[in-house]
Amino acid sequence: MIQILTGIRNTSGALEAERTRLDVIAQNIANTHTTHDVDGKPYQRRVVIFANELENAMNAANGELPAMHVAKIERDTRPALKIHDPGNPDADAKGMVSLPNINIHEEMADMISASRTFEANLAVVKNARQMAMQTLAMGKH
Amino acid sequence: MSPLSGINAYSPGMLSRVTPLPGKDIAEIPSQLPAAGPAGSADFSSMLGKFVSDVNGQQLNAAQQVSALQSGQNVPLHQAVIAMEEASVSFQLMVEVRNKLMESYQEIMRMQI
Repeated sequence: MIQILTGIRNTSGALEAERTRLDVIAQNIANTHTTHDVDGKPYQRRVVIFANELENAMNAANGELPAMHVAKIERDTRPALKIHDPGNPDADAKGMVSLPNINIHEEMADMISASRTFEANLAVVKNARQMAMQTLAMGKH
Repeated sequence: MSPLSGINAYSPGMLSRVTPLPGKDIAEIPSQLPAAGPAGSADFSSMLGKFVSDVNGQQLNAAQQVSALQSGQNVPLHQAVIAMEEASVSFQLMVEVRNKLMESYQEIMRMQI
């Protein structure tokens, strides 16, 4: 296989990872007031963990760079927020309701960071293409 | 054998007055070019064929990814776009190679013999 845009595989992995991060942030924002997660407890904020690993031994033998990807999606272990709302069906004996440990400002800042990183990786793709086209035009005029 | 052998028949006695230039006789310079054999041409055409089929493979891959994306399969958008970019750049490379080959051919055809 001819390699025209080298190093693009790593950028592709990073784009995929940042997209997953944006999906997770969207999920966090959507569940700001979810008091019932799949396990019946209030929703816990999710965080993505990025990793840079060798895809397999063959890629390593070919001297390719390891691809960056999302290793896992973990739960934020900070305690839930408690508010007094005796009318809520999820309220405990003292009338306290546990809300998810999500800070909307934190999520917005994370979203800006993820979106800018995505943009930077797109700029890498654009630059790689531009370099290839300029190399093809080498020796003309 | 002299490169101008046989010219003596047209101007007898003329060449005897010409003093040869010092240095190598042109006939003594060994040919630097290897003889173009059938093996060499087969290698080049198979290489070119492999290159063209690689470019075609990339075009097919890009088309397949785009149609998978459009039919709602789980293909990331950026992956399809990157495949299209790669296909486009390698096609451009193929066009450049073709232009270079045609240019050489035209240059040879224009050569005065």
